[in-house]
Amino acid sequence: MTATSAVTAGHGGGSADRGAPVVSFRAVNKNFGAVRAVAGLDLELRAGETVALLGPNGAGKSTALDLLLGLRNPDSGSVAVFGTTPAKAIAAGRVGAMLQSGGLMEDVTVRELVGLACDLHPRAYPVDRVLKDAGIDGIGDRKVNKLSGGQEQRVRFAMATAGANDLIVLDEPTVGMDVTARQAFWATMRGQVEQGRTVLFATHYLEEADAIADRVLVLHRGALIADGTAAEIKARAGARRITFDLDADRDGRIDEAALRGLPRVVGLDITGPTVRIRSDDADATMHAVYALGLYPRNLEVSGLGLEQAFLAITEAAADTATPAATTTATAVTATAEEPGNR
Amino acid sequence: MKTLVELEILRTLRNRRFMFFSVLYPGLLFLIITAGADRTKKMDGLNLTVVAYYMVAMAAFGAMTAVLMGNAERIAREREKGWVRQLRLTALPGRGYVTAKIASAATVSLPSILIVLVLGAAVKDVRLAAWQWVSTALAVWAGSMVFAALGVAIGYVATADVARPISMLCYFVLAMLGGLWVPFTTFPHWLQTLAGYLPGRAYTAVGQAIEFGDAPHAKDITVLVVYLALFAGTAAWLYRKDTRKA
Repeated sequence: MTATSAVTAGHGGGSADRGAPVVSFRAVNKNFGAVRAVAGLDLELRAGETVALLGPNGAGKSTALDLLLGLRNPDSGSVAVFGTTPAKAIAAGRVGAMLQSGGLMEDVTVRELVGLACDLHPRAYPVDRVLKDAGIDGIGDRKVNKLSGGQEQRVRFAMATAGANDLIVLDEPTVGMDVTARQAFWATMRGQVEQGRTVLFATHYLEEADAIADRVLVLHRGALIADGTAAEIKARAGARRITFDLDADRDGRIDEAALRGLPRVVGLDITGPTVRIRSDDADATMHAVYALGLYPRNLEVSGLGLEQAFLAITEAAADTATPAATTTATAVTATAEEPGNR
Repeated sequence: MKTLVELEILRTLRNRRFMFFSVLYPGLLFLIITAGADRTKKMDGLNLTVVAYYMVAMAAFGAMTAVLMGNAERIAREREKGWVRQLRLTALPGRGYVTAKIASAATVSLPSILIVLVLGAAVKDVRLAAWQWVSTALAVWAGSMVFAALGVAIGYVATADVARPISMLCYFVLAMLGGLWVPFTTFPHWLQTLAGYLPGRAYTAVGQAIEFGDAPHAKDITVLVVYLALFAGTAAWLYRKDTRKA
């Protein structure tokens, strides 16, 4: 499928093997009853990458991360982290992870809890440094169960960065944060990236993926449907959006077939008199519109954000029955609840 | 791992309400049960006063309550909240988690045991040799670890909703067959034989052997050690193998 071009360095090497990919999924399947949460996932992350994992709810993001972290075992296929099992990579202190709403120990202070994470890490940093890096040095004496949502997220982040990890995995890290906190969080995160770490994060905020990630993975029905830079994904989805109004013809209709036949059109939507076209060459498309003798009014041509690109890609995947996807024609996966979510 | 043990103990001590009930309850129960008892009356066929019998029984009962009930429910709740998942993303080995949980349970059980013994000596005039006091306390305390481990294991197989009923059931059966409420000698023979292989009976038998002035029987100690290994091993295994949504 459209998965990565897997050039592998093999599993045999030691955990410090430079050639080994940071993360490697091979033909991984995970079912929950009749639901295929992860379906034949092939994936490889290389050292130093900042990777965003996108997908609608129920696409299998959380399950994929659980598999990566060894919190679940795949039904078939293999998951390797630094050329070894997830559990061994974690025990070696190479992986730090921040789970979506992972619980925290109660009746202890922030400093005590982060101190615990440092104590358990084989390559730990001093507690003060971890607190400061996570921006929670001011609330060290506060009880963990008396924090705001954003503060809790920062405590989880501190726990995920308590030591010299080579890979940091973040599942929806900025959920529950306001805009300021979110910006501060990503500023902290960039510090981690600059230290040469590999970062994988799942997010719902597309602008975060656009701004932070140098590689974007789009997961749909448990399979990878896009893998590239944010720019590549946007280009693939049709880089431009063209909007104009048309007068109806004598039958009171707009000739949809003619519009669909325009060059470089990736997507078409007609609502009343308004025509919306996604095109990967707006100039060529518009030239052809005029050549048809049409007279478009209120013409607008705009660039496509990652958000629209993402929607376009996942909609396209939902329309075409993906061979890897389930036989049941659930076009409503975007709203289906992921079984793993609490 | 040391920090985890310290933190588990610390947060148990901070939970004042839980501490209060777990620590004082067995002592009160001991006073109530023995309120009308003749202090010189011996148990049927045993050279031991009724009061002394119940003193050890209630110390054991209290310790069991504290460790079994406390652990099972708290762990089940922590699993549901995702804290155990978070902990599994650290390098902590399974035995570290179990050790920390047993240690925090032991923090609660020791004072509850001591209070019962102090009440026995001060209020109920139980007289034992100095070595008997010390070794009774230690034996009952050490034995409570078996039930703490059972509590961890239950907390791992059950959800928070059913952890309490399951641990209640285990605890009633074990306490009952251990002769904590009704003297063991009143049971029919077959039940005595069966109970002899359960940790509840071995637990009280160790304490009572000391009261008689004997060393605890090797069989009872073996039974306790086997159950401790079984429960703790199961708990540690469940901690690491728990790939369900914990």
